Amino acid sequence: MIELRGVSKSVPSGSSVLTILHPIDLVVPDGKVVAITGASGSGKSTLLGLIAGLDAPTGGHIAIDGVDITALDEDALARLRGRRIGFVFQFFHLLPSLTALENILVPMEIAGVPGARTRAIALLEEVGLSQRGHHYPSQLSGGEQQRVAIARALANDPPLLLADEPTGNLDSTTGRQIIDLLLQANRSRGTTLLLVTHDPELAAVAHMSVALRDGRVVSQTGPDPAPPIPDPTSHIPDAGQ
Amino acid sequence: MNFVLKMVARELRASWRRLLFFFVCVAIGVAAIVTLRSIIQSIRTGLMREARATIASDVLVQSTRPWTPEIRAELDDRLAKAPVQARTESIETATMVRAERGAPVARMVELRGVEAGYPFYGTVVLQNGAPYSHALIEHAGTLVRPELLAQLGVKLDDRILIGGQPFTIRGVIDQEPGRRVGGFSLGSRVLVDLVDLRKTGLLTFGSRANYQLLLKVRADGVDNLTRDVRAGFRDRFVTARSYRSTEDQIGESLQRAENFLSLVGFVIVVLGGIGVWSVTRVFVRQKIRSVAILKCVGASTAQVLATYVLQVALLAAAGSLIGVAIAAVAIRAIPAALTESFGGLPYGLTGSAVLQGLTVGLLVSVLFALVPLLDIRRIKPLLLIRGADTTIAVTPTAAGARGLSARLRHIDWLQMGLAAAVGAALVGVASWQAGSWRAGAAVSIGFAAVSAVLYVAAFALVRFVMPLASAPWFPLRHAVISLRRPGNQTRVILLAVGLGSFFVLGVRALQSNLVSEFDVGVTRGGADMFIIDVQRDQVEGVQSLLRERQDPGTSPARLVPVLRARVTAVRGRDVNLENVGDVRGRGSLAREYVITYRDNLESNERIVEGKFWNGAGPLPADAPLSEVSVEESIHERFNIHIGDEMRFDVLGRTLAARVTSIRHVEWGDARSGGFMFVFRPGSLSQAPHTFIGFVKAPDDPTARARLQYDLVARYPNITAIDGREILARIQHVIDNAVLGISVVGGIALLSGVLILIGAVAMTKFQRVYESAILRTLGASTRLLMTTLAIEYCALGLLAGAIGAAGALGLSWGVTRYVFDISWRPVPGLLAAGALLTALLVVAVGVLASADVLRKKPLATLRAE
Repeated sequence: MIELRGVSKSVPSGSSVLTILHPIDLVVPDGKVVAITGASGSGKSTLLGLIAGLDAPTGGHIAIDGVDITALDEDALARLRGRRIGFVFQFFHLLPSLTALENILVPMEIAGVPGARTRAIALLEEVGLSQRGHHYPSQLSGGEQQRVAIARALANDPPLLLADEPTGNLDSTTGRQIIDLLLQANRSRGTTLLLVTHDPELAAVAHMSVALRDGRVVSQTGPDPAPPIPDPTSHIPDAGQ
Repeated sequence: MNFVLKMVARELRASWRRLLFFFVCVAIGVAAIVTLRSIIQSIRTGLMREARATIASDVLVQSTRPWTPEIRAELDDRLAKAPVQARTESIETATMVRAERGAPVARMVELRGVEAGYPFYGTVVLQNGAPYSHALIEHAGTLVRPELLAQLGVKLDDRILIGGQPFTIRGVIDQEPGRRVGGFSLGSRVLVDLVDLRKTGLLTFGSRANYQLLLKVRADGVDNLTRDVRAGFRDRFVTARSYRSTEDQIGESLQRAENFLSLVGFVIVVLGGIGVWSVTRVFVRQKIRSVAILKCVGASTAQVLATYVLQVALLAAAGSLIGVAIAAVAIRAIPAALTESFGGLPYGLTGSAVLQGLTVGLLVSVLFALVPLLDIRRIKPLLLIRGADTTIAVTPTAAGARGLSARLRHIDWLQMGLAAAVGAALVGVASWQAGSWRAGAAVSIGFAAVSAVLYVAAFALVRFVMPLASAPWFPLRHAVISLRRPGNQTRVILLAVGLGSFFVLGVRALQSNLVSEFDVGVTRGGADMFIIDVQRDQVEGVQSLLRERQDPGTSPARLVPVLRARVTAVRGRDVNLENVGDVRGRGSLAREYVITYRDNLESNERIVEGKFWNGAGPLPADAPLSEVSVEESIHERFNIHIGDEMRFDVLGRTLAARVTSIRHVEWGDARSGGFMFVFRPGSLSQAPHTFIGFVKAPDDPTARARLQYDLVARYPNITAIDGREILARIQHVIDNAVLGISVVGGIALLSGVLILIGAVAMTKFQRVYESAILRTLGASTRLLMTTLAIEYCALGLLAGAIGAAGALGLSWGVTRYVFDISWRPVPGLLAAGALLTALLVVAVGVLASADVLRKKPLATLRAE
């Protein structure tokens, strides 16, 4: 479960202080899909970054499964992310010097998980890239890169998956496939999924939706009985672009 | 750890090409250290191995005077008490030889008369592989060097005249123990039987001969015997040295040479280190996103840091190994002329040099890489969701910070502390390489001072050019903006290029100072032949022969009486040396001086204090004290003043004299010779003495040779030294030294330039993105190149000028305090150096960015 209590963020800007997030309270039960929506600059990514422990809030507390992450230092946060949080970015952010397979291996190696290679191969297969494991990111299409990024995010089987506009840099067909992969993770593993998105369609299928404007929550839906999440009708591997 | 190792392997696989320059920097520095140190170490090992052969014995007792019966008896007594296993005698003297039949030329040689036991160590190697034995030279036989055969136009079994006596050439010496081809000597070696040498009449009174007793001594008795003889004969012109003291002397001077060259090597490594620093800085910038990703997926800062430090260490180790390989190739490629100046000793890579090179290479690269790598700690994974903003949070600039306290809060104390520790470690490594804390600290302080000036200059430059940021000309405006934009390379380039040019120009300036110090020339019209050992009854004859042969119009030859004397006491205002022991305490005052007497001053002398006895005639016979004129430097160094009373030992006779004048001697113009002590005629006229002559010999080489030949034919005991020949020989030795210095300077220059190129080339990565954007906005290649050229030119000129100023200071300090030679500023060289630096920086900067400019901008923008 994710709990935010009075979480705010402001940064100095010249001689004044700029508030990016006004105090927010939010509770996300385990296993839910949450869509965070809003215009550019509304504070969506900042909120996601705070939950991932990538940034520290100016005020308030964030607890993940009862652990107050605002009290943790950088290395403890890194360990927490390694074990409990998977992250998918808009710009994929794969390590360019590593192959697809190696990119998936990295979080498991950091955590010292045994049998990492077997699992990485299985994950590659799961995202439909079993033939592309030895390719470098520069040799993969955007969609393929994002699928590797999802496999990497799922490597340590984290209970929480954060995705920052995961389809923002992809065409709609490819984007659809990515969303399917993410939702499938939620469905089959019970992974809590927090998505930052502009896509109203995606927001519609979420259990919960949080809309932000100028750093404030303007609307919040759910949690309510989850609508049936559509089963991906087909699973077409990306042909590359 | 497992993760770290795997990441290192993967990263290296992908990025080693980009770090190629890193290799180059480390490799060049290590190659320099290993090459220079290996050569010197090989020479030292070779010479040490031959230390016994150098003196052909365990202990060598020698005197410049014939053994007197008393000394002989006492010496025998002392030797009887020591574990002496064998002894043999030998006499060395410089003399003239000529062919009995053949060309009318006479040559000066170094004649050595030996007994049957010679040599105890080492071997006389004869040409054609003939074995050496004493029987070869018995009964007027002789062994000579091949060059003498050519000079005299003689061959094996011909006869040559030594001291007027005929000797048959029975062999040709290829190699002789303790004598090396490149070393300096007055003439080539001639070996005869000691018995025959004594018969020649060369060992007349006052002749310059060295009487030697070669001893083979049991190892445990060597030091005791050497000490015992030294102490026992301290005041009687007898000295002793063992192969061990030879070893120490050679060892010490070579150790100094090794340390000096190693320091040069170390400085090259430091330059490489600056290259490493520059590469690492760019590398970290390029890795910002990767570091953020690793942190995002759970890696701790320590793990990430370990990954990159280990990577750097591995690259440094690889670079160092390549450096060793380069050194191995370089040593093989050394020209034969240099081998000769090292005495023809074999040399190759030495284990200790390789080990030191590897250690220094690894240490310096890791030290230089550590500070920029620490930036990794400040990379926040947050930047991944902030899009393309991939800069490291740095100390805010003046605009962002509010006051001193805000600035202080933003200082990364760990990084500062580490930088200080790295500095201290570098001083340590420098001192280790120089073999002295002082030299190490001096070099480090020099580097630090130039760095500080460059750092301040970078700020000043940015300030100074600020008004130009609104210049109407686009390239100028953008060049200025580039110099001061966030994340600019102004400081890095200034530091790397400035230090590089400082060092390279410094070495060049030193080299030119050293070389001009060696510049010797023959003064036209001055004396160029020296005649020594002329006996009193030969003066008339020699003078008339010279008058006959000299070119018309040249100043007539003069023969000057000389004696050898030692100071045994000084009693005076500031100094009171009662006996020989006291004098000895004054160092070089105790040495043997050549003295003369005359009643006039020479053209190269003038009185600075007191009164000379000019034309006053000889001293009255009843005068209690003689009069002596003292050379200026003796007066200054030993505090000897007018009125002081000095006592001299002149061939066993005590002579007391009062100092009546202080003389300045123009040593550069030594046509009339130069003497530390000149006596008033009278007291010495009756003492036994010989004469020397300073002669302007005929210019025609045949006439010179003929004069030499006839002098020796008529007076076999005298020696005529051809100054031109000696100068040619000195010039040869100097040429070798100059070649050596130039090679070291060349290595430094080459490494410096390569490192410079690298440091500048690395900065291109910073411009790729900007150039791409400007291109999309319509900037032409020419416009971009002009902008780049202006920016690099400003940096190059400033760095070159500061480097040149530093080099001027360096050459002054080193010539004055290390080499103890006069300093010549070399403004032309330094100005040209500064200009060349600027040109080089512009050329490298623009050329390195050429591929950036050729690339389609879209590819660059996509990659970013």
